[in-house]
Amino acid sequence: MAEILHVTGLYKRFGGNEVLSGIDLSVGAGEVVCVIGPSGSGKSTFLRCINLLEEPSGGQILFKGQDVMKMPASLLHARVGMVFQQFNLFNNMTALDNCVAGQRRVLRRSREESVRKAMFYLERVGMLPYRDARPAQLSGGQKQRAAIARALCMDPEVLLFDEPTSALDPEMVDEVLSVIRTLKDGGLTMMIVTHEMAFARDAADRVVFMDAGKVVEDAPPSKLFVKPENPRTQAFLARTMRG
Amino acid sequence: MPNTFFGWIGFLLEKYGGMFLSGAANTLLIAVVGTVAGFIIGLLVAIVRTIQLKRDAGGLKRAALGAAKLLLNAYIEVFRGTPMIVQAMVVYYGASQYLGLNLPAMTAAFLVVSINTGAYMAEIVRGGILSVDAGQKEAAIAVGMTHWQGMTGVILPQAIRNILPSVGNEFVVNIKDSSVLNVISVTEVFFMSKSAAGTYYRYFEVFFITSVIYFILTFTFTRLLRLVEKKLSGSASYTVYGSQSSYQAEIEVKRDPEGEA
Ligand SMILES: Nc1ncnc2c1ncn2[C@@H]1O[C@H](COP(=O)(O)OP(=O)(O)O)[C@@H](O)[C@H]1O
Ligand SMILES: [Mg+2]
Repeated sequence: MAEILHVTGLYKRFGGNEVLSGIDLSVGAGEVVCVIGPSGSGKSTFLRCINLLEEPSGGQILFKGQDVMKMPASLLHARVGMVFQQFNLFNNMTALDNCVAGQRRVLRRSREESVRKAMFYLERVGMLPYRDARPAQLSGGQKQRAAIARALCMDPEVLLFDEPTSALDPEMVDEVLSVIRTLKDGGLTMMIVTHEMAFARDAADRVVFMDAGKVVEDAPPSKLFVKPENPRTQAFLARTMRG
Repeated sequence: MPNTFFGWIGFLLEKYGGMFLSGAANTLLIAVVGTVAGFIIGLLVAIVRTIQLKRDAGGLKRAALGAAKLLLNAYIEVFRGTPMIVQAMVVYYGASQYLGLNLPAMTAAFLVVSINTGAYMAEIVRGGILSVDAGQKEAAIAVGMTHWQGMTGVILPQAIRNILPSVGNEFVVNIKDSSVLNVISVTEVFFMSKSAAGTYYRYFEVFFITSVIYFILTFTFTRLLRLVEKKLSGSASYTVYGSQSSYQAEIEVKRDPEGEA
């Protein structure tokens, strides 16, 4: 399996506060890696370092063997997409234009091609009927599905999700998770920070448990959820599964 | 000679109506040019001031940006911290004494009002940018947009909508404050009024007319700006396109655009 992401010794400090303390992780093509862990453990910071929304303080991140720090920023961001907890759809644009803007400006695609692609992915996430709606006119689940379509339009090789369902009302969680499942079936490589343990268990190829800025355990869900090795993983799972 | 208030008003209007009109036209022109140019200056300054350099930026780039930001801050402080009447004198006489440039009065007027307004606009735009959720900028970066693309395509369109009332206010201020340009003999409506008043020593009557002119200008444009704001606050409805199976079903949905889910 070809390696898409390779992270070694990743450190991140905010002032004197060390948030990531030497992370090593590798993600293969087509893999779905779910990242779980207590709040404040550095999961978001880890994802944000991968596509350089945060600048790492140390370590190396390779994207298909290339050092991301040496890649042109636009290229990196087009290859490594991001879906946010708060959706962050462009509020001044319709759902369709959200999907078109990046293609036009960053990839320099023609208007026709951009719209064709946007329609294709909006259809895939079930948002085609709402293409003319602005973010403020959409529900949380609809916004997140449109945001996923926006990311897909850039033809990313990896898609990073930072708690894509945490800001959603419970009844909208499933519509977003089922969209993510279809992406897995399509073979897209994904890293997903999530608190949805049931989803991680059946959708992930690997689950990574993070605590206090470190990867504590990294195993297939069948192992990590059933027979976790590390006591911290055990304690975390005991706490979350009970709740 | 007339001997009543209204007699004088009528007399002065008849004799100097043309001057009042051309003065008012110049005032309006200065306010429009100054506000539009100042707004563009403000946007550009704000774009530069919000640049954040990348990890790999070289020392030269860093120094250049630092110097540019310092200069822009100085510009804003100086032009907000001194009266426009003084700025007009300095620019006009500075240009003639030290640059050998005899600026036409109107050119000097456009220059001074634009630069002065630009300093205020830069701060207004900055406030507008701060009012836009930080997630918008992150999303722009995350799809690969450059600072310029994110600013012009995502951030500023939202910021401008938020600051439109303040921008309109600057325009109204410029209609009124361009009166100080009479010190460099710009033929705006205050200057014209002073000339008209001097001939017959009818200061009260002339400036009564002048204040009515100013009020008509500011009142009209305040109302116009309200209308524009309403227009820009956008359509509250959108069409839901029917599914493939029933594409004839198109539903107009009206929902409060501010009412977040
Ligand atoms: N921009 C920032 N500046 C300072 N501290 C930050 C910043 N972003 C995150 N942190 C800190 O880093 C730690 C990890 O945060 P985060 O990565 O968001 O954790 P998680 O996503 O696992 O909840 C937290 O203690 C948080 O306060
Ligand atoms: Mg987080």
